[in-house]
Amino acid sequence: MDKKMKSLQLRHVDAGSCNACEQELTALLGKDYDVSRYGIEFVASPRHADALIVTGSVSDTMKPALVRVFEAVSTPKGLIVIGDCALGCGVDRRAYASHGGVQHVVQPDLSVAGCPPTPQEIVKRLQEYMDKHTTV
Amino acid sequence: MMTEISLYDAHDPWVTINAMHRQQGDELLALTGFRDQKIKAHWLLADGSIAREQVRCSSDRFMTLTTILPEVAWDEREIYDLFGYTPIAHPDLRPLLRTQRWPDDFYPLRAAMPDRPLWRDGEPDQAMKVVQGEGIVIMKVGPTHAGIIESGHFVFSVMGENILCLDAHLFQKHRGIEALLQGKSFPAIQPMIARLCGSDSVSHQYNLLQSIEQVTDRHVSEVVQYRRILVAESERILSHLNDLAQIPAGVGFAVAHQKGLALKELWQRGMAVIFGHRFLFDAMYGEVFTQEDKLHFLSLITSFEALWAKWVKLTEKNVAFHDRMRGVGKVTRQDAKQLGAVGVARRATGEKSDMRKYMPLYQVVDFTVATALGGDVEARFQVRLLEVESSLSILRQTLARMGDPSKEEPFVVPSDLTGETVTFSESPHGLNVHVIQWLDGKIDRYHIRSGSYRNWPVLAKAVEGNVVADFPLINKSFELCYSCTDR
Ligand code: SF4
Repeated sequence: MDKKMKSLQLRHVDAGSCNACEQELTALLGKDYDVSRYGIEFVASPRHADALIVTGSVSDTMKPALVRVFEAVSTPKGLIVIGDCALGCGVDRRAYASHGGVQHVVQPDLSVAGCPPTPQEIVKRLQEYMDKHTTV
Repeated sequence: MMTEISLYDAHDPWVTINAMHRQQGDELLALTGFRDQKIKAHWLLADGSIAREQVRCSSDRFMTLTTILPEVAWDEREIYDLFGYTPIAHPDLRPLLRTQRWPDDFYPLRAAMPDRPLWRDGEPDQAMKVVQGEGIVIMKVGPTHAGIIESGHFVFSVMGENILCLDAHLFQKHRGIEALLQGKSFPAIQPMIARLCGSDSVSHQYNLLQSIEQVTDRHVSEVVQYRRILVAESERILSHLNDLAQIPAGVGFAVAHQKGLALKELWQRGMAVIFGHRFLFDAMYGEVFTQEDKLHFLSLITSFEALWAKWVKLTEKNVAFHDRMRGVGKVTRQDAKQLGAVGVARRATGEKSDMRKYMPLYQVVDFTVATALGGDVEARFQVRLLEVESSLSILRQTLARMGDPSKEEPFVVPSDLTGETVTFSESPHGLNVHVIQWLDGKIDRYHIRSGSYRNWPVLAKAVEGNVVADFPLINKSFELCYSCTDR
């Protein structure tokens, strides 16, 4: 029988952010947010991950790496994008070496808007994601 | 690309004039390429004035300065990549930002508004610099990493556990922001400049403001100036707190890491209340500061200081922590000078170099430039500690002097705005410079040389001879930004 996800292991890829989105993701690990109590963890390898969590509008140089890391996550897998840049509405989306958002490279399952989104917002959306998805 | 070392001409006037500035002890602000074949070097002189030297390329070529000024090695490679102007006799002209995916004839900054090119398929691999020999292993890391870290690719030549050489391939996140700014107006670029970098945003915002005020001769009231000091020092504290929290993580001192993150969180929540943003994005552009803001700020400082004092004690009394930092990732004073180190990295070698001393904004407050000796991880940690405290004191001084808010005249940028400025500030990561050309109210050229950009080659030098396992620690002690380096 399918069950709700009890844990969510994430691998992070920065595809061209300004680093504030990263800092908010790091804040999730601090004691004020402490996402480990909800079973959310950042893991070292895409092979260990349930989903990829991506920031930045995707620079051309990062594009092949992003695709490869996503391929390395085993199925079923998710793609979560954090911040306006990754969502395709960031300030640098029209720059010549920006692909203007993750959706032009791989399709996201969850998008958290904001510049950067607050840690509260990210936690809330990740929990909703876990509620909606099932483990096999 | 073969370098033509034999073509080097030490008597080229472009070389001699810049060599003279270096000998005089002037500070290089930026080396900037322009569409009209010009290259300009801006120097900050001891009296605070700025000298501008320039050369016109002949058939897309100019004499390299890297031989006399190793700190411009990257700037010249960047000019070569983006404009196609060749620095003659540059000792290492491998592509810096270009990758094999770029079309051959694509030189984005040659055009006023470059289109997106048709990228080639394939990997963006670039030529590596490695040490060869028996027993030497090449270790490649990145561009993506095993934690929440910005993307960068590092090529280590390692013998046993020791790093012989680090070739840092940054610019993985190059988006082409300088070109994106071209043709845009002041209001249009404000959010872009604020988002160049999450850790030095305010400093970038301030450089833009200074430019517009220099060209239009606008003077802002004293209250607004004080407010700017508040925003700038708030950012210094925020950014230093982040970096200070990361250093203990590099040696597994989890309590100090966690409590450091909590201090940062406390500060960020305060920033959101007072200035409307957890990273102070767009905060420097604002001009309103109410009596209520002042009270909020004073109570934030008071609650922060109590926890801060405990944290400092926690790290001070941990002998093992200091032992792990001491002697690791050492930068000598001479290397710091040669490679153009700025900010904390430079002050940690004992040099009293702080751009705030040249900024008119800071003439109204009292502070001493923090330095430490040793040039190692411990010294960089120490300088940041001292700077958080001096920034707190600057905040208190400023709040005490701040009069009632005044009503600023609404500022309209003249549509014929034209001129060239070189503006700088001391960002949390060191000297940050913007070279800006306005033409008829729009950006004609915008060059950003951030503190992190200058310090990356210094970091590469600092890790030489250290064990691989200490790379994360050394890296965190610089905590450089990739975003405003890569742009
Ligand atoms: S969404 Fe905002 S905070 Fe996030 S990377 Fe983009 S500019 Fe930075």
